[in-house]
Amino acid sequence: MKTEFARTARRAEALGARLPPLLVAAQRVAATVAQGVHGRRRVGQGDSFWQYRPFNTGDTPGRIDWRASAKTDRAYVRETEWEAAQTVYLWRDASPSMDWRSGAAMPFKKERAELMLLALAALLLRGGERVRLIGGPLRQRGGAGALEGVAETLSELPDSGGLPPDAPLPRHARVVLIGDFLSPLPGIRAAVGAMAAIPVQGHLLQVLDPAEALLPYSGRVRFQGTEAERDTVVPRVEGIRAGYAEALAAQLHGLAALCTAAGWGFGTHRTDHAPEAALLGLYATLSRP
Amino acid sequence: MIFGLPLVFAAPWLLLALPALPLLWWLLRVTPPAPRVQRFPAIRLLDGLHAPERTAARTPPWLLALRMFAAGLIIVGLAGPVLDAAARLPGDGPLLLAIDDGWATAPDWTARMQAAQGALDRAERDGRTARLLTTARTETDQPPRLSQPLLAPELRTRLAALRPKPWPPDRAAAAQALAGVTAGAVTYIADGVATADDAPFGKALAAVGPVTELRPDPVIVRVARPPQAEADRLVARISLLPQPADLPLGVLAQTGDGRTLARVDTVVPAGSSAVEAAIPLPPELRNTITRLVLDGPASAAGTVLLDERWRRRPVGLLTATEGADTPLIGPLFYVRRALAPTSELREGNLDALLARAVSVIVLADVPLEGEAARKLEAWVDRGGLLLRFAGPRMAEASGNTLARDPLLPVRLLAGDRQLGGALSWSQPAALARFEGASPFAGLAVPAEVLISRQVLAEPSAQLVARTWAALADGTPLVTAGPHGAGRIVLFHVTANADWSNLPLSGLFVDMLRRLVDLSAGVAGAAEDTVLAPVESLDGFGAVAAPPPAAIGITAADLAAPVVSPRHPPGLYGPESGRRALNLGAALPELALAAPTPGAALATLGGTVRERAIGPSLLAAAVALLVLDLVLSLWLRGLLRPAAVAMLLLAAVPAHADELPALNTRLAYVVTGDTTVDGISKSGLAGLSVYVNRRTAASLGDPAAVTPGKDDLAFYPLLYWAITADAAPDAQAIAALNDYTSRGGIILIDTRGSGSGEGFAPGTDAALQRITRGLAVPPLAALNSDHVLSRSFYLLQDFPGRFTGDTVWVQRDQDRNNDSVSPVIIGGNDWAAAWAVDAQGRNPYSTIPGGTRQRTLAYRFGVNLVMYALTGNYKGDQVHVPAILERLGQ
Repeated sequence: MKTEFARTARRAEALGARLPPLLVAAQRVAATVAQGVHGRRRVGQGDSFWQYRPFNTGDTPGRIDWRASAKTDRAYVRETEWEAAQTVYLWRDASPSMDWRSGAAMPFKKERAELMLLALAALLLRGGERVRLIGGPLRQRGGAGALEGVAETLSELPDSGGLPPDAPLPRHARVVLIGDFLSPLPGIRAAVGAMAAIPVQGHLLQVLDPAEALLPYSGRVRFQGTEAERDTVVPRVEGIRAGYAEALAAQLHGLAALCTAAGWGFGTHRTDHAPEAALLGLYATLSRP
Repeated sequence: MIFGLPLVFAAPWLLLALPALPLLWWLLRVTPPAPRVQRFPAIRLLDGLHAPERTAARTPPWLLALRMFAAGLIIVGLAGPVLDAAARLPGDGPLLLAIDDGWATAPDWTARMQAAQGALDRAERDGRTARLLTTARTETDQPPRLSQPLLAPELRTRLAALRPKPWPPDRAAAAQALAGVTAGAVTYIADGVATADDAPFGKALAAVGPVTELRPDPVIVRVARPPQAEADRLVARISLLPQPADLPLGVLAQTGDGRTLARVDTVVPAGSSAVEAAIPLPPELRNTITRLVLDGPASAAGTVLLDERWRRRPVGLLTATEGADTPLIGPLFYVRRALAPTSELREGNLDALLARAVSVIVLADVPLEGEAARKLEAWVDRGGLLLRFAGPRMAEASGNTLARDPLLPVRLLAGDRQLGGALSWSQPAALARFEGASPFAGLAVPAEVLISRQVLAEPSAQLVARTWAALADGTPLVTAGPHGAGRIVLFHVTANADWSNLPLSGLFVDMLRRLVDLSAGVAGAAEDTVLAPVESLDGFGAVAAPPPAAIGITAADLAAPVVSPRHPPGLYGPESGRRALNLGAALPELALAAPTPGAALATLGGTVRERAIGPSLLAAAVALLVLDLVLSLWLRGLLRPAAVAMLLLAAVPAHADELPALNTRLAYVVTGDTTVDGISKSGLAGLSVYVNRRTAASLGDPAAVTPGKDDLAFYPLLYWAITADAAPDAQAIAALNDYTSRGGIILIDTRGSGSGEGFAPGTDAALQRITRGLAVPPLAALNSDHVLSRSFYLLQDFPGRFTGDTVWVQRDQDRNNDSVSPVIIGGNDWAAAWAVDAQGRNPYSTIPGGTRQRTLAYRFGVNLVMYALTGNYKGDQVHVPAILERLGQ
């Protein structure tokens, strides 16, 4: 018991040491992206000013903005921008295959996926949306500490085997799945199809290391898998590079096809590229009604 | 011998592993190289992919050959191959190893021991025992004895304990020890110097068995004989076996604490058996020399100890008259002051002086008559130097008295000669230059020395030869003549200032000192005193405690010594009267020994040493395996370019940048004299190290520059050691003027002023010649108020190797040049004091000596560098009191 406590405390300490930089990075990425996006551009419930319009019959007198109306002869109604809070469910792959990088200069795929997830969460929270983690608690802290709450929950989520866990999702929620999606297509199709049937709209972001995209090895190499696959000895890696590229393209194509079929969005991201570009695309997709 | 190579194996059965190499070949062929291991998440995508062409899963043949070669090297190396193994010893039965270990073997002792070890190695390989015979008597004065037959390891320890003895071999006793002995083979390592008993010893050796005689080729034996003391020099005498080619030879004059004060290099012409080398030394320094050593391998024969006879020259002053020492006018007043600093002076009447041994007796116008004259004459006959001065009494003496006086070098005319004066047309006469044959030759004659009265010598055929100093008109002033074994010197003037102002000049001091140096040294002890051995030389010429058998020797025997274990070379007698027994004085003429009859001759150095090449082969195999590792990594793609670059960077030493502009460096002017340039270079290097250690300045290696050719702009300070033949051309002078006008500093060192006078003769004249073209500003003596004396350390004086010389700097402050003196002139030989050799030692001793003087020399150097780098920065300190005062108001 005691050792377990000690281990947990140690882990918490390690995570605590790791999280703030990750959060800072996520906030930074989010701040960069936030300058490029805008609100809903529609009249509705919200805090920010949208427009003054002339008083129409049918409006309750209580809605008249007296300060604006006092300047002229006509009465004006003040309208605010529509800010409908929506719940966005986020998930990132925590399987061992994500805990890999091709060189010391690269970030781990998992690291990048978490960064994207938290940055997206920061953006969404800033936009007034609610953020949940698939497999996480049903109620999530809101307000200023919400992002920290997401980060803490994220570090506690167990590995769900390369695919999102079978958690209850409300109808018409939005889902974002981030992972490498290198597992066989039928499994992915089943998971996405199950979610799309709720119905839930979503987006799939594939994070790949450049080595996975390009297979830059040469000579005689014994490849070891990360998730209990059988070792493969390739006598001459240069010879199979073209074949590998084809196989990878087939996987991507399959993923794109199953996403289209479910009405979902699909994007890819390489860890040697800047995270902002992918995040901007992702956020733009989510901002669409 | 294997395949015609001089190669044997210590463990030949290991070579049986060589046929296993093809098996290794096969094993390596069938085992492909291990693949590189790579974790890869997208491994699923690799399934079912096949390369269109197959890679070589087998080891490439050239790598295979490399590995086979390495394996072969390991096998051969472990088998213990020995290269250049000499031929087997002849015969069988024990080996007799006869080794000369007399005085002549010390210089090449290591080669002799290696040859002996080689013979032992061969005996051991054949499983034979060996017996050892050394031909010199032991330290306990035991005659040579033949050892029992011993196994090689035991004999090796005995060989290691052998040392060359500082006495001759006793071949007669060695021949007796060989009587009736037989052995399978005889190896005789001979010294090659003939002794009287060579023939019986050779016969005895030949009777033992087949003899192989090893001797060096050529036999170089050098013996330093006791030197000859002359007025201003010490003449070292070296005898040696005639050589087929010219042989360079260096003689070092060393002090008691091992400092070398002077070195003379000479070349012995081919075929010559004796050579002399003069060591010019100022008398003060000569008296501190305790030994002469031949440069090269150390040996007792190459070392001459100098005892009191080469130094101690007591001077007796005959005080027959009262008032001899009256200040300024007494006849002995000036003589005493001239000689007291360097000589031991004794005074008294003639009997008191002659009661003890004395080298020189000075008579200042004392008439000699009767008994006293006879005693003095007998003393001169025995080798004394009588120094007489003329005077009124000698001038008054009649011609007959003078003719009868036996203690005059030349016959004198009665009366004296007046030069100048109220009633004379003539002027007081100056001195002529000293002739080459005179002991005074080389002394500068000051123009202000004038002779106004003198006694005259009677013209004769001998007069010119006996004249050591003359007036400008040729009249003899100092005459000298031999008398028995001694010498009589007459000054034709008085010893005070009555007749001339010669006693007032520095020339008088130099003349008297040279005369005293000319005299024979005095041995301290009586003939029959037994002198106990105090310190002995070992075979290598190093001072050690006397061997157990050493006993005292009488002073009479020292005159014709026999060096033996009883009387080893070294110092004998009480501290007040040490006498040296030198091997060189005891050895007869050298001659080459005839080889042993019937012996097979071999050269000592000619036999190539046996070399066990096993370790080298193993090292080569390891290197090959490392190469194999690198190649395997490369084949497996594990060798990254970055790693290779790192390896190469580690392997290639960083190249120091030698561009002068990138580093502050001191520089010296190349003089063309390699010795002087070497001193300058090592001196500046030593100073740079000291400055880097003590200050924030960071100096690079010193540079050698030739003004007019090299660009001087990069160097803050030029060190210029003046040589006597220095003659820079107009271009160089122009370059130096340009350098100083732009803020450069030249330190000009004449290397021989102060206490070093005599070390670098002629440099003062050279300095005058050089500075004629150089833009030297008005100079003033450097004192402790100058910035140079406080730019880093606070200094009172500025010594180098010598001390006491005035250092000259610019008198006026030149604001254009930051008040920095463009030239600094001195003669303290600073570079020699700063010099550091490759071992980090200071090769040139300071004079008069002491670590304090060297420290001060370095501090002067630091000040100089700081002065050159910072200008008058510290000069502002001078104004601090004034500034403080102003602030107070």
